[in-house]
Amino acid sequence: MRRRIDHARAVSPLAAAAGLATLAFVVIPLPFIVLSAISHGSYRLLGKGSPTLEWFRNFVTNDRFMAALGNSVSIALITTAVTLLIGLPTAVVVTRGTFPGRRLLLSLVSLPLLIPGVIVGTAALGFVAQTGIGPGYWPITVAMVCAALPLALRPIIANLSGLDQDQEKAARNLGASPLRGFCLVTLPQLAPGLLAGGIFAFIEAMDNFSIAAFLTDINTTTLPIEAYSYIRDIDDPTVAAMATLLIVMSVLIVMVLDRLLGLDKFLDLS
Amino acid sequence: MRRPTGLLLAFPAILVVILLAAVFASVVSVSLLQADPGGAVFHGPASLRNYTRLLGSADAWRSVSNTLRLSGIVTLICLVCGFPLARLLARASSARTRRMILFCLMATFFSGGVTRAYAWLIILGNRGLINQSLQALGLPSVALINNETGVVTAMLNFVLPFFVLTLFSALRTIPDTLESAARNLGASRARTFLHVTLPLSLPGVAASCFLCFALSLGAFLFPEMLGGGRVQVLATAIYDRIQTTYDVPSAAALAMLFLLLILCLLAVLGAARQVVTRRAT
Repeated sequence: MRRRIDHARAVSPLAAAAGLATLAFVVIPLPFIVLSAISHGSYRLLGKGSPTLEWFRNFVTNDRFMAALGNSVSIALITTAVTLLIGLPTAVVVTRGTFPGRRLLLSLVSLPLLIPGVIVGTAALGFVAQTGIGPGYWPITVAMVCAALPLALRPIIANLSGLDQDQEKAARNLGASPLRGFCLVTLPQLAPGLLAGGIFAFIEAMDNFSIAAFLTDINTTTLPIEAYSYIRDIDDPTVAAMATLLIVMSVLIVMVLDRLLGLDKFLDLS
Repeated sequence: MRRPTGLLLAFPAILVVILLAAVFASVVSVSLLQADPGGAVFHGPASLRNYTRLLGSADAWRSVSNTLRLSGIVTLICLVCGFPLARLLARASSARTRRMILFCLMATFFSGGVTRAYAWLIILGNRGLINQSLQALGLPSVALINNETGVVTAMLNFVLPFFVLTLFSALRTIPDTLESAARNLGASRARTFLHVTLPLSLPGVAASCFLCFALSLGAFLFPEMLGGGRVQVLATAIYDRIQTTYDVPSAAALAMLFLLLILCLLAVLGAARQVVTRRAT
């Protein structure tokens, strides 16, 4: 009897193989990028000769790449901080507020998630052209905040609505002010949601291509845009070296998430 | 929560909404103007000329049909390939297998779009991995980039993690005792799947297909990088107008038409999704 139940639960070998084949297809770009980054030319994957670090050297000594990397990292850090500062009060209002229209407010700030980046980018370009602000660093940063806000809000809201409000009420009854009650009781329990939301905001700002493509100019580019224009002009694996560094960053982020939250919990929040 | 506190907390979000409204109002007004050749200045008088020109252009309609067709193809393949993986994830008996799969999906997901688009150029390119292998075997090479094959492959690779993770969170809420019951009562694996698993997973399937289709409609990086200018979807058509002629008003008009199309499509598909969900529950 026991054996039959187990047997019913497991996935059939054929279905499992199909699932693993899909997983292989999803993951396959990563090893090839890494291989390409240490090969001697774009299309000579581990051809003749020993692995080389030439392309990594090329990447870090290229002024345009370094400027773009600096822009991307600083824009991503500002975006993360500002997004969380806007996201936290918004999440509190949406889950605990009483005023009518708070659902509408959530839908409106979530619009950039539904609307393709190219449309948001064109709209932003039209706006900065018409107002005379022009494209550049700050328009990109503001656009990234708008794009990242709905991504960051979801885990914070999921986290907040799962919390027990009685603890904060107890603190209030014992004489804590609303702010103190929130900061000492609720805020520490929101750490997982803020961590997940912050990571989404950071990745979005680092990786965004479709909005940033419309707002960069000759003096200010971001890493994805610079990488694309490099690929179009020059045929060597420097971009593979850059991508390898991004993969390392990505793996580190997932490891940290796994350690701090557990991947299952992270998924529940997002 | 008292009302004044609530409004104070809502203030930053309200500012964001005001900014979004201003930006979209501005782009609508820009779409009614005309561009001075080569300049960033637009002039009036306001007219619907950009719109009438676009609606009469065969190129614009071709990019609409390309966008819809490619999104449909990607969603269909996503469903066929993604379902087994989501199911494996939801029903894997060992926690380690599940953790390994989640790790791979998320690490790929976080590594970014350009990373993966570039990888597909290396793999599918004219002198890429596949063509080099074919050559080594003495076979003729095949064109895998600068066409729809390359675009669909890369888009699929990008959308699959979203699809699988969304479907996974739906599938794991279905108690596996129902499947066990069907099997123990003598149903075959196929019968259990068709009569128990599939009907119960339909709402999740609908939600993930909806997400997949919406993401594919807006895809820009992959058609741009792997299409090589030969696969024109709406997103690349809009970008081209700015890259080649800096015709912001015309790009704005096309973007507004695209937005209208998306809102209509998503409203219809959202309604269809609701019907599926209601039927299943």
